[in-house]
Amino acid sequence: MSAGYIPGESPEIDDDVNEDRYVESAITTRDEQLTAYKNIDLATIPMLFLLFGGISVFLFALTVGDWDFWMDWRDRRWWPLVTPFSLIVLPAVLGVFMWNKFRLPLGATFATLSFVAASWVSRYTNFHNFAGFPLNFVSPSTWVGLGVLIDCTLLITRSWFATGFVGAFLFGLLTYTINWPIFAPFRIPVEYNDTMVTVADLMGYMYIRTAIPEYVRIIEASTLRTFGEAVTPLTAVFAGFVTILNYYLWVWVGHKVIKSGWMDKVI
Amino acid sequence: MYKKIGAILLCAISLFSFCELALAHGEKAQQAGLRMRTMNWWDVEMSTKSLEINEELVITGKFSPSEWWPRHMANPQDGMAFLNIGVAGPVFVRLDSRVNGLPMIRSAQFQLGKTYDFKIVLKARTPGRYHVHPVISVEGTGPIIGPAYWVEITGDPATFENKITTLTGEVVNMETHGMGQILKWHSFWMVVGVLWMAYWLIKIPVLMPRYKEVMRLGPRHANEMITVKDMIVAGVFFGAVMVSIAGGYFYTQIQYPTTTPLQTGEIEVPPLPDQGDVVQLELIKARYRIPGRSFKVEMNVTNNGDSALRLGEFMTANVRFINKDVMGTVERQDELDLIALEGLQVKGGAVQPGETRKVTLWAEDALWETMRLTSLVYDPDSRFAAMLFFFDEDGNRYHLEVGGQMMPTFS
Repeated sequence: MSAGYIPGESPEIDDDVNEDRYVESAITTRDEQLTAYKNIDLATIPMLFLLFGGISVFLFALTVGDWDFWMDWRDRRWWPLVTPFSLIVLPAVLGVFMWNKFRLPLGATFATLSFVAASWVSRYTNFHNFAGFPLNFVSPSTWVGLGVLIDCTLLITRSWFATGFVGAFLFGLLTYTINWPIFAPFRIPVEYNDTMVTVADLMGYMYIRTAIPEYVRIIEASTLRTFGEAVTPLTAVFAGFVTILNYYLWVWVGHKVIKSGWMDKVI
Repeated sequence: MYKKIGAILLCAISLFSFCELALAHGEKAQQAGLRMRTMNWWDVEMSTKSLEINEELVITGKFSPSEWWPRHMANPQDGMAFLNIGVAGPVFVRLDSRVNGLPMIRSAQFQLGKTYDFKIVLKARTPGRYHVHPVISVEGTGPIIGPAYWVEITGDPATFENKITTLTGEVVNMETHGMGQILKWHSFWMVVGVLWMAYWLIKIPVLMPRYKEVMRLGPRHANEMITVKDMIVAGVFFGAVMVSIAGGYFYTQIQYPTTTPLQTGEIEVPPLPDQGDVVQLELIKARYRIPGRSFKVEMNVTNNGDSALRLGEFMTANVRFINKDVMGTVERQDELDLIALEGLQVKGGAVQPGETRKVTLWAEDALWETMRLTSLVYDPDSRFAAMLFFFDEDGNRYHLEVGGQMMPTFS
């Protein structure tokens, strides 16, 4: 750490703060500057949290949609591939912003935490309270641990290449694994009306969705593309690879965005 | 200023007060010709129109995909279809649905021109008054709704129960199953995320001092802001997260040793046996006279049976036109039941056994207008289809679909 920066202590006051000028600054003392900086944190961080929560939920609804809305869509083949590929966008862009402007390894955690929090608000208010679906059928999946992995990788390696290769790969690879404790209770088999289903399938059948007939679900069907007989590991590794590529793409976009003049003006 | 704002608000509130709730399902929204030529529904009945929470509603009836199904639209014979319910969300839970006695949890294919029996059992979950339709959803085409009736649910929703027994012998409450597991793991990962964020953000101010320091050091040296302690903490978090993911996975495997992937696939449903060729018909001409809201069909009807046949009903796009002389007084199931009680006039009389006779029908009623079927004349292909119901002297009923080109008459 450089000598000029000590967390939590008063920052060096700008030399020109007390200068006589035609237009006087509202901040004239070190304490006032400290208070102003604290207020910036207190206003900016919650605002960014709400903003990115909203953006990510909207983005996810547009790109993933039903795949993550309903428990009976989260299969072993498509859900673990589509969701990390889509969700990696904001951790990448926000990660570049937070790292390059503040040297804070928080972009991915911030993005996933705000996304999961906003998802809970959306699922509870829209899907449960308004539309009437049981909350267990529409609860969000979890991503926060995967965001922490990306941020930790960035901090340890301080390299976007390595962060993509390790962190983004783990983000895709472990999507299904980290969510398995949430999904498992819904994969218990049931014999219902002479048909073999899982609890999740049965919930999809029982809780009527007029606009979502059974055949609309894009979920795993029988396939020869397996590793041995296992579908999940093959999907997980492939998801890891495509997440790396998408991460690099959006890190590049993030670098372009923060180099733009308007970004400096915003800050 | 305040008066202006008050006036605008008052106007806005007044506008809302004139709005009616949209409680139906777009019955009139699709093109008339398509509604006539896709799915024929008849004998649709509901076991009750009023029930308490936890009580069951049974819907029964018949459907037949039209032989005149438009070729440019995906049909249920070549693609997939699903017997569904058109209702305002999960106000019921679906306990059972069957076509020709086979369970319809999964999707199926239905042959054009064939007849299928259906039965749906619903359990009341949320109080309210609902317009309930049977629906056949067709892949690539969309939902095709059948006749609807209003059903009222009363009672306390807190008393609703929905329990099932799994193949592992566990009795689960579908309303809350797995919720503890969901909340536990979400909370855990939220705490992990908050702790990582707190490590960096707890000592405010953070953003401006760090931003200025990054600007001062420049991109090449900004990494000097990262301390050894930061590295150690990151390593601990990385390791703890990896261990937690693995631990959570294996612990869950122990908790739930028997799981299966989501189930899908189709089910084969043979149609009901044909009625035989008791009655055959050949369309001569069909005209729709716009001013009179009158649909006229001329056809040759052949009776191959051993009893005289008379035409009792003309049904298209879920609207029934009744020949009172044959069917007598038909009762509406509710005030919005789409029945023209005296809407069918037939010229030509009974068709005797072995006889081929020209029969002309007129289906006339304001329902052509109110159900927006008059727009048939503006459809791009001007074709129609309808189900005809003939009755013999013993009261046996024979259904047959008629369809083809329709000519409009504008005066």
